[in-house]
Amino acid sequence: MDDKKKSKQINRRDLLTGGIRGAGLLGLGAAAGALGGRAAEGQMVWQLDPHKCISCGQCATYCVLDESAVKCVHTYAMCGYCNLCTGYYEPNAQELDTGAENQLCPTGALIRTFIEDPYYQYTVDEPLCIGCGKCVKGCNAFGNGSLYLQVCHDRCVNCNECSIAVACPAGAFKRVPAENPYMVKEVGHSK
Amino acid sequence: MDMKNKFGTSSNAVLFVLVVAIAIIGAVVAVFRMDTTGQKGSGLGDAFDYDLSEHRTVDPALILYAEREDLKMEVGITAPRGIAVDQADRIYVIGNEKVVVFEEGKLVREIGVKGPGRTLAVDENGTIYAGVGDHIEVYGPSGDFQGAWEGFGPEATVTSVAVAGDNVFAAIFDKTRIVIRYDKAGAIINRIGDKDKERNVPGFMIPSPFFDLAMSPDGLLRVADTGRHRIEAFTFKGGLEEPFAWGRFSNTEIDGFCGCCNPCNFAILPDKSFVTCEKGLTRVKLYSPEGEFVGVVAAPEQFARHDSIGNEKGSDCSSGGLDVAVDSNGTILVLDPCLAQVRVFVKKTGTSKVDPDA
Repeated sequence: MDDKKKSKQINRRDLLTGGIRGAGLLGLGAAAGALGGRAAEGQMVWQLDPHKCISCGQCATYCVLDESAVKCVHTYAMCGYCNLCTGYYEPNAQELDTGAENQLCPTGALIRTFIEDPYYQYTVDEPLCIGCGKCVKGCNAFGNGSLYLQVCHDRCVNCNECSIAVACPAGAFKRVPAENPYMVKEVGHSK
Repeated sequence: MDMKNKFGTSSNAVLFVLVVAIAIIGAVVAVFRMDTTGQKGSGLGDAFDYDLSEHRTVDPALILYAEREDLKMEVGITAPRGIAVDQADRIYVIGNEKVVVFEEGKLVREIGVKGPGRTLAVDENGTIYAGVGDHIEVYGPSGDFQGAWEGFGPEATVTSVAVAGDNVFAAIFDKTRIVIRYDKAGAIINRIGDKDKERNVPGFMIPSPFFDLAMSPDGLLRVADTGRHRIEAFTFKGGLEEPFAWGRFSNTEIDGFCGCCNPCNFAILPDKSFVTCEKGLTRVKLYSPEGEFVGVVAAPEQFARHDSIGNEKGSDCSSGGLDVAVDSNGTILVLDPCLAQVRVFVKKTGTSKVDPDA
């Protein structure tokens, strides 16, 4: 009985050893957590520099996803809210209405909404946009460049080697910090 | 039952090897045909092309002016944006932090300005009124700084300045898009272009920061209402003279103004004709004092560098938008911001008083 009692009793040495082991494990955990946190903080993601992009259309077809992670976005503060939006209308549009034959976007992803005479707002219907950049060309050619392409991070799977970046003829793809993943155009960038 | 040929191998094994070989060859060919670097383009169909080439073509018979290559001037400043001519036909160009002055094609003076210069006008005494950022700076004929007028805030740009007698007019591109009439001390006299139903003034519709004005010899101020593709006429007190307004949109017909917002800049010849610049389809055209299309001064093919904006890798031209001025002989001076040059256009022989080979 005495031997059993003795074996169940924790002596000072065991307590010290166990304490040191526990502290070591705790420290290891804390270090791993800190390193993990730092890694997440320093994570980089892909983004498209709108000032280098030439809207070549390759974003639509080179993404590994069936539906590209690149979509058109709109900086409303730069937009002229034109009745005759060259990002919305074909250069040969016969009428300034919403007829499909007059629209520039082949997938009908730009939505035109009347605001007040003579202003219209243009919004991107994201599920319809395939990132071809045709509207971006029209907007850049005549307008303010308020329509532009961006990698959408709710879709992008952040491949190590982005296949669009490899194919991009303008070298417009960059690695940017995950905590600031978009390269948004601002007022003053217009031509 | 497994058949064996004369070499003692099973025909099934041969078939298996053949299939594997074809698969490997097919895979190798597929890998080599893969376009991982984008050399073959997007593969999207014609519906995804944005092609303005047919609109850039101009009937040569409509081109009334010829460029004098021998007279062009390298402005030697970054981001040149505005050009003006004084009464002695000296040429002034403004850009980032500098005005340069040319006399008979030679650089005669450089004047520092305190920011991104965009536009300027010179009065009969040689005083320079320069639009720099959101305000106007005044410089004496020798380039001495005489003062800066109160600005309109960080979101505003003075896009054009004109002088008429004791009045200075400035087009302000900010949320309101307005023309301000100043006296020469910089005090505001009145605003021009505020939406006013009673006076039948609809307000300016200016989608992009190209908002030009010029004083006509007929005594009315002309303002380019670019979103309406019109040049409008105003009295000094802001009355819109509708009968004198002209212009219409067309991408397909040469007599109209193209795109969302043109003409981006214009000038008025001594005979009251208008010289207009357009962006998008970069071209310069001539209209009668009544606004009837007369002909083309310079066609889009003469501004090929402008087509690269947003379309070519590493284009060094990030900002289009020609500016234009005219001298007392009717010579047309076009500031080409992509080439940082003043390009000189004169009427072709037989169509004008000016002989290009003279």
